[in-house]
Amino acid sequence: MKKNRNVGVIGVGQSVFSSHREEVNQPEMIHEAVLEALDQAGMTMDDIDCVLHGNMELFEMVHQPDLWHTLGTGAFGKETLRVTTGGTTGATLVCAADALVASGLHDVVMAIGFEKLQEGHTTGGITNMADPLWTRKLQTGALTGMTATQLMDEFGEERAKRASMLYRITMDKHAMNNNKAHRRLGLEFDQAEDLAINSPPLVGELRMIHMCSQSDGTCVMIFASEKKARQHCKQPAWIKDHITVHREENFAIFGDAPVTTTHRYAAEKLFERNNIMDPRKEIDMMEMYDPSSWWGLDWLREFLLLEGDEHLEMVENGEIALDGAFPVNPSGGVIASNPIGATAMVRVAEAAMQIMGTAGDHQVPKQVNTALASGFGGTMWTVLTLLTRDLPGL
Amino acid sequence: MTTETKDCFTIDGKLALPYQYFAGSTGSRFIISLREEKKITGLKCNKCNKVFVPPRSTCEVCFEDISDNWVELPNTGTVTGFTIVRYEEPHQPLKPPYITALVKLDGADTPFAHIVKGIPFSKMKTGLRVEAVFAKKTTATIMDIDHFRPVTQRPGFELGYTYDQLEEGMSASFTKTISETDVYLFAGISGDFNPMHLNEEFAKATPLGTRIAHGALPQSLIAPVLGMKLPGLGTIALEVTTRFKAPTYFGDTITATGEIVEKLPERRWVRMALTFTNQHNKLVAEGSALVMPPVPMDKE
Repeated sequence: MKKNRNVGVIGVGQSVFSSHREEVNQPEMIHEAVLEALDQAGMTMDDIDCVLHGNMELFEMVHQPDLWHTLGTGAFGKETLRVTTGGTTGATLVCAADALVASGLHDVVMAIGFEKLQEGHTTGGITNMADPLWTRKLQTGALTGMTATQLMDEFGEERAKRASMLYRITMDKHAMNNNKAHRRLGLEFDQAEDLAINSPPLVGELRMIHMCSQSDGTCVMIFASEKKARQHCKQPAWIKDHITVHREENFAIFGDAPVTTTHRYAAEKLFERNNIMDPRKEIDMMEMYDPSSWWGLDWLREFLLLEGDEHLEMVENGEIALDGAFPVNPSGGVIASNPIGATAMVRVAEAAMQIMGTAGDHQVPKQVNTALASGFGGTMWTVLTLLTRDLPGL
Repeated sequence: MTTETKDCFTIDGKLALPYQYFAGSTGSRFIISLREEKKITGLKCNKCNKVFVPPRSTCEVCFEDISDNWVELPNTGTVTGFTIVRYEEPHQPLKPPYITALVKLDGADTPFAHIVKGIPFSKMKTGLRVEAVFAKKTTATIMDIDHFRPVTQRPGFELGYTYDQLEEGMSASFTKTISETDVYLFAGISGDFNPMHLNEEFAKATPLGTRIAHGALPQSLIAPVLGMKLPGLGTIALEVTTRFKAPTYFGDTITATGEIVEKLPERRWVRMALTFTNQHNKLVAEGSALVMPPVPMDKE
């Protein structure tokens, strides 16, 4: 990606993620993360030029949330912009912030992704996406069990189920190290067989335990030009590149179409233009938008351009664990915490924290030089963000 | 290009979007003060000295946490803007027409939206002084304030409002503290020497535990409203009905309020809703009255 100037992530703030945040209203919950991000960046609101805001359209039944959340965002008197691209909102906020700073329009931009899923009716909101004439009355909402069926067809029921549950338990072990995470269940690997049978089924072999949560929470990131970033931060996480891919020739995301997923297409393009030949070696870790452990498992193959059963092996041999060769979601991922408008940004934020060395108890043991973050949403939308420890060349 | 609509389908859909809103600790505390103490509270920013009503935990300009700087506000304020709602929608709190106004309480820097009753639409104005009237029953919402009404009433000692001058929504009240002397005089007037009004030792043995005023005593306080305020001098009361809701103890301060609720054009009478509240805003009695307003007199 051709850039006018470099952009660094210099501060991250996250509210506590939980199923119910009844003790705070929306602006107050946002304020919590804003203060943390400012504190980490060593800044006050006076240093912020522009505030970006994003969440899912209609999920809280609030009109123009960016304007009345001003009570908590600090956007009073600032340039502001609202971004709402569905599940990818958080990742698109990062793209927008990167563009605003890289272009030279602003030196310091604060981006805020939030959701209070308990206040709204998500399936009601999601139903609005479908074409009223052809599909609105047929759609099922955000749950799909197709990937489970496909993986079982391809690799056999026993191995597929086991790998999916291994992935799930690995994510929970990661979440246990992240005190902001919503679901921290304390699962052990010897519970895998029991969970595969006893967790309530949602759709086919997609069970409750596999599925992401509905969370309340906010993520805030502060982006700065190279000059400002160096003034305020010892080790910024630099934004090397990002790519957005979507295809919606048909609303449906089950069955065998589309053949090339937007995930694989985005990864191919991103790696090609950044000369990444072997992503598992050249990238140190990934924060993936994994709505369920079936998707998480399957999408490893897409994002890392793997062949055959390599993705299953990565899970089976512990490669994706926090201390593994290619850590995936040290934060616990989306299965642990999913405040949707914030979720995709949390991926980038957590990847940035691994580079900055600020992930605390869930910091991976090795030095992270290059990190990948994915966002997912819409029907098939992918946003991939590549972050580096070293300043990218322009 | 044609705009012919023959054989073009339209999909009729309906989306239900239920939602909750978490008031948070700060918003909840405001509601609790309303519900438990009938007190309106606000939060003050110590940096810019602004007082926010309803409260907000952060002053968005100073970016200061103000969530502990609670201040109590009086029930009185000034209308900073209003509109008269005349169209009907299912979500409205009242059947139109009614007045929605922005009320800035004395000592607050932010106005908030509420309903104003007790003033004819033609006399409604920005700058009107109003006071809060609390709801009889709590709903733990901003509607624990039922509405605002004008603070100052029209002074008496002149011929009252004629039928044509009266409008639905006009109201007036009279307030008096009921003393022991009042009760003894009333016993003499009515001949009701029931020991529950006059004998403290006897009254201690009753469920109420102490002497109470005759029910008709607070009820009688509506007479100065009807006869001297609204409609005022020259009014003839035709019917007064009252339901007693709570006892009046010695020393209680009772406010009797009458509000015009219906004009009866055939006989040129008006029907009024009556409420009797004590110093705790507790409803002591409620009822209705039918009155004949003063008939205009020829000039002398």
